[in-house]
Amino acid sequence: MKKFSSVLLIITVAFLCLWQLPWLYSFATAKKDKSPFVLYSPVIDDFTLSLYTDGMQHTDLSGNVYTQSELDSIHPFFYARQLLKDERFPDSVKGIPVTYKDSQNESFYYRINPKDINAPQIGVYQLMESMSSRVKLESPDDVFRFTKKSIEFIDAETNTLNSDKSARFTEMLSKSGFVFPANSLSGNPSVKKDYDEGYLVLDAENNLFHLKQTVGRPYVRKIDIPEGVKIKNIFITEFRNRKSLGFASDTENNFYVIENKTYDFHKIGIPEFIPEKNAMMIYGNMVDWTIKVSSVEKVVYYAVDANDYSLIKTYEEAEEETFSGKVSKFVTATSLRFTHPLDKYVYPRFGL
Amino acid sequence: MIKAIFYKEWIKTKWIFILSALALFGFASYLIFNVYRMIELKGAVHIWEVMIQRDVLFIDMIRFVPPVIGILFAITQFVPEMQRKCLKLTLHLPCDAQKIILSMVGYGAVMLLLLFSATLACFYVNLRIILVEQIANHIILSAVVWFLSGILAYLLTAWCVLEPTWKRRILNAVVSILLVKIFFYNVAGEAYNSFLPILLLYTAMASSFVFLSVSRFKEGKQD
Repeated sequence: MKKFSSVLLIITVAFLCLWQLPWLYSFATAKKDKSPFVLYSPVIDDFTLSLYTDGMQHTDLSGNVYTQSELDSIHPFFYARQLLKDERFPDSVKGIPVTYKDSQNESFYYRINPKDINAPQIGVYQLMESMSSRVKLESPDDVFRFTKKSIEFIDAETNTLNSDKSARFTEMLSKSGFVFPANSLSGNPSVKKDYDEGYLVLDAENNLFHLKQTVGRPYVRKIDIPEGVKIKNIFITEFRNRKSLGFASDTENNFYVIENKTYDFHKIGIPEFIPEKNAMMIYGNMVDWTIKVSSVEKVVYYAVDANDYSLIKTYEEAEEETFSGKVSKFVTATSLRFTHPLDKYVYPRFGL
Repeated sequence: MIKAIFYKEWIKTKWIFILSALALFGFASYLIFNVYRMIELKGAVHIWEVMIQRDVLFIDMIRFVPPVIGILFAITQFVPEMQRKCLKLTLHLPCDAQKIILSMVGYGAVMLLLLFSATLACFYVNLRIILVEQIANHIILSAVVWFLSGILAYLLTAWCVLEPTWKRRILNAVVSILLVKIFFYNVAGEAYNSFLPILLLYTAMASSFVFLSVSRFKEGKQD
């Protein structure tokens, strides 16, 4: 027993060192994040980089320097409020007539974080009433879950199954060709939004469905997926302009936008997006979208056309290869850690 | 002989056992009452929503109670052995020393397991009345790791207390603190699900650490 205990203690201490020493190194050598804020400008047709060094500096990829006021002008949608206040909001951008109201309506910010995908799921969801008689959206008084054979609604006040509603939704889903249980679903049951589109649901056979509740009744629509495309992840959008229903990524790491009403799929012109490994941020306006795709290794920015989703320009953040950077990479690669920036699980793993 | 050892351990630990039971019962009652009160004040819909959308567990105030109980239990059980030099006598009883130590540590671990299981069961039964199965399961699965840390804290404290020298005792304490720290990453509910079997196995294996201290004690190591 003593031998076993000694070996166990030695192994334990070795693992604790592999965990704590690299942590101490990272803690002692932590540096300020020097990533610039990058945005594509439809006026100069180039990315601008805003970085705080000795004061805020704004440049484009050609090296031209801009003042804050000039930057506002070349990003008329992003800085629309400022331009309106200064009475400088343009009448048109790239020959397209624009109003402040249009710019606010068409602009959006969207974020996909791998931590939200690689995370434990409770398995119950809230389905709002999408055609509420009230001006504001309201929280539903029940939750739903998928079982192997049905969808079940449980009333929160009584904590009991609402058999009638469950039967109605199960029947509608089955009639639409839904195969239970659901593989994954995406919805945003927040009342702080303009409207509700319910959920995008992938069934057991990876068919895509749109599920929502309209005047207490189920709305289920099977969405045709383009030939040969195998959807892996889905994301509901609910943007103010109501043009898109959601985003989707497939097994080939392509990224799509699903149009509202028509349910048409459009491939977005970025080369690759892996939702489990990459974080995505989109700043969209009526002319173009700036898409930031970051992974542990690199950060790439894409500018895509807001109408046909074709790729306009790419910018990859160059990383300076310094000695301390190399040491830091080596330390990270050999360290034991229990958490990871890409997920919400705790378990031992080496490196990033 | 083993029965007598258990009785001896019970005499030493009955008060800490009763106090721990009261503390756990008190905390659990307060937390459950708090959830009921919030449901009464804000409605079940709101509480379910907060739990689903923001991953609020409502019982996480209890998370440091199990390790504290584990540490106090081990101190109450083993400090008198060291202070009154009883351990020397215990090791000279006409029974296998390893078996005696294992019985002592096993007694403590089982008593804590009883307390912690009863607390988790109390949580589950009461939460299940007001919460849907999935949310209640989510809360309990998130809490299991805190209660497991209580058992590991007990075993590691026993290892530290039975260590005869202060230098080594401090090193043991550093290792123990780091090991218990692993159980308290506040990432998300159920974040430890896949790690739990390994933690459970390690906790079981960590019960062997006391043999290192006892062996050093038998070898006559002193400050």
